[in-house]
Amino acid sequence: MADFEEIEHTADWAFRARGQDLAQLLENAAQAMSAFGRAKARAEPSVAREVEVRGIDRETLLVNWLNEILYLEQTRDEIYDRFQVSEASDSHLRAKLYGRPSAGTGSHIKAATFHNLQVRQTPEGFEATVVLDV
Amino acid sequence: MLSKHNLVRLTEYVWEIPPTFREDMRVPARLYADEDLLDAALGDNSVVQLVNTATLPGVIQHAIAMPDIHQGYGFPIGGVLATRLPEGVISPGGVGYDINCGVRLLMSLVPVEEIKPSLKEIASALYANCPSGVGSHGPLRLSNSELDRVLHEGSRWMLDKGYALREDLDRTEEFGRIPGAEAAYVSDRAKERGRNQLGTLGAGNHFIEVDQVAEVYDQSTAARLGIHPGNVAVQIHCGSRGLGHQVCEDYVSRFQKTVKDYGIVLPDRELVCAPFESTEGQEYFHAMACAANFAFANRQLLAHLIRSSFEEALAGQVSNFHLHQVYDIAHNMAKIEEHNVAGHSMRLCVHRKGATRAFGPGSAVLPDDLREIGQPVLIPGSMGTASYVLAGTAGAMQETFGSTCHGAGRVMSRAKAKKMVNGAELRQELQSRGILVRAGSMSGLAEEAPAAYKDVSRVVDVVHKVGIGKKIAKLEPIAVIKG
Repeated sequence: MADFEEIEHTADWAFRARGQDLAQLLENAAQAMSAFGRAKARAEPSVAREVEVRGIDRETLLVNWLNEILYLEQTRDEIYDRFQVSEASDSHLRAKLYGRPSAGTGSHIKAATFHNLQVRQTPEGFEATVVLDV
Repeated sequence: MLSKHNLVRLTEYVWEIPPTFREDMRVPARLYADEDLLDAALGDNSVVQLVNTATLPGVIQHAIAMPDIHQGYGFPIGGVLATRLPEGVISPGGVGYDINCGVRLLMSLVPVEEIKPSLKEIASALYANCPSGVGSHGPLRLSNSELDRVLHEGSRWMLDKGYALREDLDRTEEFGRIPGAEAAYVSDRAKERGRNQLGTLGAGNHFIEVDQVAEVYDQSTAARLGIHPGNVAVQIHCGSRGLGHQVCEDYVSRFQKTVKDYGIVLPDRELVCAPFESTEGQEYFHAMACAANFAFANRQLLAHLIRSSFEEALAGQVSNFHLHQVYDIAHNMAKIEEHNVAGHSMRLCVHRKGATRAFGPGSAVLPDDLREIGQPVLIPGSMGTASYVLAGTAGAMQETFGSTCHGAGRVMSRAKAKKMVNGAELRQELQSRGILVRAGSMSGLAEEAPAAYKDVSRVVDVVHKVGIGKKIAKLEPIAVIKG
């Protein structure tokens, strides 16, 4: 089964991401957003950032995590394409983002939304559907 | 599943979903559409999203969808929802991430033939001078206190700095400054994201377009707005950039807990809200007003950059190329307004998500010279298609809390558009139709292909026939600048 797949949405981007555990779901959701963002990075040495994100539940944590990435990309002029979540509970995560300086065109995504969002437990692990505002 | 059978046809173009459709609905949901536009609306989740908004606490009369309704991420795009104050709520997700996304129309007294030989120079100057694309930086570097002044003063700050004309402010919704802005409620992150973005266009469906006046439907009103057949016009479509996105994110995330504190149960977590008069509701409103003022200032600075670009390309070749402002309107906003509901004057919080204020003649909030004709309403079409200038009407005041449609409305997903349309071919096709294109991203161009949108003319015809907007003039593009 793919780590993430696109879902039809008229105006924006939507995807379904999966993971064997919460940490992997969070990593794959970030990977999906990075794929849809189409941002271009410069061929320069890679950068790494450490982040810590909180939320009142899994859904809020997932949205806050994705929006943290967008915030850092926009304010640091960097594009991240690899994500390593080292710690994840329902309300807290620690992660490392790896990427490179932006080539000028940043992510086309404005924000990750809570629309119809639910982090579900499945026999294989976790699954979530996320709508991104473009 | 929602289908046509769940709708009651009230008149030829007005449809209603009664509150018995779902037990959490507090009021009916109403759609303005012809049969084809209704079928398009029923083709995705947008009508369910409309029904969801009818559940918000304090909602009054009916939840409304304009004929350009399409699926959003909480409210449908093309939605209008009013809540009665003091008990009604304000919803950050109802306003959306691009707070005060809107349209500005500038008009010249120059016939299009006179500038045609310089059109390439104009398009190139616009593309060079008006930064586009995501995360682009504008020409100003603001200190913290200057940024706070922009958030409090909007277009007025631009006037003080020489980037606006006095008459630009008179021709801007709320005179370019929403009352109630308090920068203390805007996070440092939001300020950081917005600091360098004043005077930038952004990406997605945002654009600058050079147009010609193709048709005039109401000669005398058009003439009073300085709109004459064959003349050159410029439209700007953009919003509050990263600052607005962050304000929305901050409050949608925070309100996930707030709704629990107030015992508000919702069908979708993006609809989170707080009573308008509560501490949380007020704080969001102060922050939203800041983002709205930032967006007015942003479009004002872009207007200044566009005027400079015209000067760069036309000075010495064309005389009197000045661009005067017809109007600037918001189409993502929550506003505090007085409306007459069932014979009673009420103070309401009117959410317009992809919908435009359309105050009719006589409205006290319009400047003297517009009071007789009603507020100008700007309806941009999809890329490469016509746009319209309308005027607000008494019908809109009676039926839709002084609101009308905002654009064409998407019918096709971005993914499908990219599969069906090749960006470079589309640019070629537009150029063969006499429309110059300057775009940063070919795939971005493909996503915005005209085929991905409804026919704006049909949308406008519905609001005109129903009487919630009056057609004044039609514009057709000759150059498009996109991120």
